[in-house]
Amino acid sequence: MNQFITAVLTSLSSGAIYALMSISLVLVWRSTRVINFAQAGQAVLTTYIGYELTVRSGSYWIGLISAVLAGAIVGGVIDRFFMRPIFKRVKSGPIVMIAPVVATLGLLGLIQAVIGFIWGFTYQSIEAPVSTNGYNLFGTVIAFSPFNLMVLAVATITMILLTLLFQKTNIGLALRASAFSPEIARLSGIKVDMVRTLGWAIAGSAGGMAGMLYVPGSFLHPNAMDVLLVFGFVAAVIGGLDSLFGAVAGAMILGFAINFATSYISYKLVFTTAFGLLILVLLIKPNGLFSSSKSRKD
Amino acid sequence: MDYFHQARVGKIEMKIVSTRNRTLIFIAIGWVCLFIGDRVDDLLLSQGALVATYALAIASIILLTGYSGQLSLGHSALMAVGAYVAALATNNVGLPPAYALVAATFVAGVFGLILGFAVARLSGPYLAGTTLALAVSLPTIANQFAILGGEQGIAFDVGLPPGRFGEEFSQYKWFFWICALASLIMIWFISNILSSRYGRVFRALRDNPVAASLAGINAGRLKVMAFALSAGVAGLAGGLLVMLISGVSPSAFPLSLSFSLLTGAVVTGVYNLKGVMLGGLILVAIPEIAESVVSRIGGSEGFTVALPGFLVSALLILAVVFTPNGPGHLLHKKKH
Repeated sequence: MNQFITAVLTSLSSGAIYALMSISLVLVWRSTRVINFAQAGQAVLTTYIGYELTVRSGSYWIGLISAVLAGAIVGGVIDRFFMRPIFKRVKSGPIVMIAPVVATLGLLGLIQAVIGFIWGFTYQSIEAPVSTNGYNLFGTVIAFSPFNLMVLAVATITMILLTLLFQKTNIGLALRASAFSPEIARLSGIKVDMVRTLGWAIAGSAGGMAGMLYVPGSFLHPNAMDVLLVFGFVAAVIGGLDSLFGAVAGAMILGFAINFATSYISYKLVFTTAFGLLILVLLIKPNGLFSSSKSRKD
Repeated sequence: MDYFHQARVGKIEMKIVSTRNRTLIFIAIGWVCLFIGDRVDDLLLSQGALVATYALAIASIILLTGYSGQLSLGHSALMAVGAYVAALATNNVGLPPAYALVAATFVAGVFGLILGFAVARLSGPYLAGTTLALAVSLPTIANQFAILGGEQGIAFDVGLPPGRFGEEFSQYKWFFWICALASLIMIWFISNILSSRYGRVFRALRDNPVAASLAGINAGRLKVMAFALSAGVAGLAGGLLVMLISGVSPSAFPLSLSFSLLTGAVVTGVYNLKGVMLGGLILVAIPEIAESVVSRIGGSEGFTVALPGFLVSALLILAVVFTPNGPGHLLHKKKH
């Protein structure tokens, strides 16, 4: 019973982190039709900034807020000064389909190298603001701690705020409209380019938050977010790449699959489960389980 | 999209050499390799072997990305498949090294076929993301099988050069011969495929998928085929690579290797098979350049470790921004 409760709770809290990463991938995919592989780099860069500020100020919360802000700035700057010129420049030739993706990969490598220049390759850790010792349940200590609860709470609040932003505000309407049909949105007077940059900024924030929530339970390293990027991608594919709800649902499915496989079968099965789930979804329902429109096959 | 421009790009590629002439060109390159190989020292020979291996791996990327329009971020993992198969085939099955390399090609190809059936037939970012997932999870997956030797990996030894080449014939020269010969034969094979009916179909599919489907081309099946072929070639390159470092372990195939190969392919023009040698040369040169920069200006440990990655990524970005269709295309544009 304890094992079951623990598995459910840890699934929720790790699923919440995957969900943030998945949201950041889906937001960019919807508006640019590019999987932003540099997101792993952006997230790790902003997490390093958060780490630096946490150490200097002594407060995790200042670190978290600065990581979220830095994520927005980095994301916005990358879209405005890197991606937009590439989209404008590379317009012809067979490479046009892959050039933006290749550019995000180059950016990923570049960011990780620059982090290596500044912070080196030693493993850093960020101290959690609350205890990471597991709760005591019916007399036994389980693998779910106040920190996991905090992760779940912060991520849930963020997702509620994002939902409100997307559903109830004009900015959210503009974001959805430009993602759904850039041409018509432009005709209705939405500055599509600017809205896209805003989307990248929000995605960057989500990535930065995912990093700050992930690292206290793990380690910080220039490549620390590669794994999170993969999980975010798997979650996004399960959700159909196009819907934010799907991204969160996919992340939860992935979180449950990984945590149940590791706690009931073998602790080694993290990647095998994620990879198996990805292949299974692509074989059975490549459009994802929660895709909002069926016409988005290509 | 600028269709006129595309037609022009297509025209460059239409200058196809006849099969006989191509074969003669490859024999000539092989002869030049043999000639040079007899006159340089062991260090250059081992670097030459590495250039040939990388060139082959880049050719596998070009076959996939340049001709079927799909992106793979996990060619390091496919190379690892070939490498493990080659090592297991010699150690556990007792195959001679040459057959082990053939087995590596074949098994990696079958692996690519299975993975490709699930993923490569889909258009969109699925193949890129799935191969990335494969490359990231490779070390942990490899560690789950005791037969693969965990972090230490397993040895792969092709043995000393045959006695009939004489006492003077060094191990490095032997490596160079194997790598150069295997790469030449394989790239010759690829270039024959690309100038055959399949090559034309691949190009049609890449340049205009809708028109190609209307002409009765089964896009999904061809993409899977391209991925399987590419995986097989990558498998052979992986086998050659671990022959040079005489053992296979997960750390020999980091994710950064995939990125380097992609850089090599993009820098030399992602649909230009002729540039692979240059791409291989660049990939071998970058760590050397980084090392000489570090020895000249010094720098922290982080700087030393990160510099090669920095150079590769910077090169990739510069290539995408300034010569997205390869340097050959740039020259062509200037002529007009």
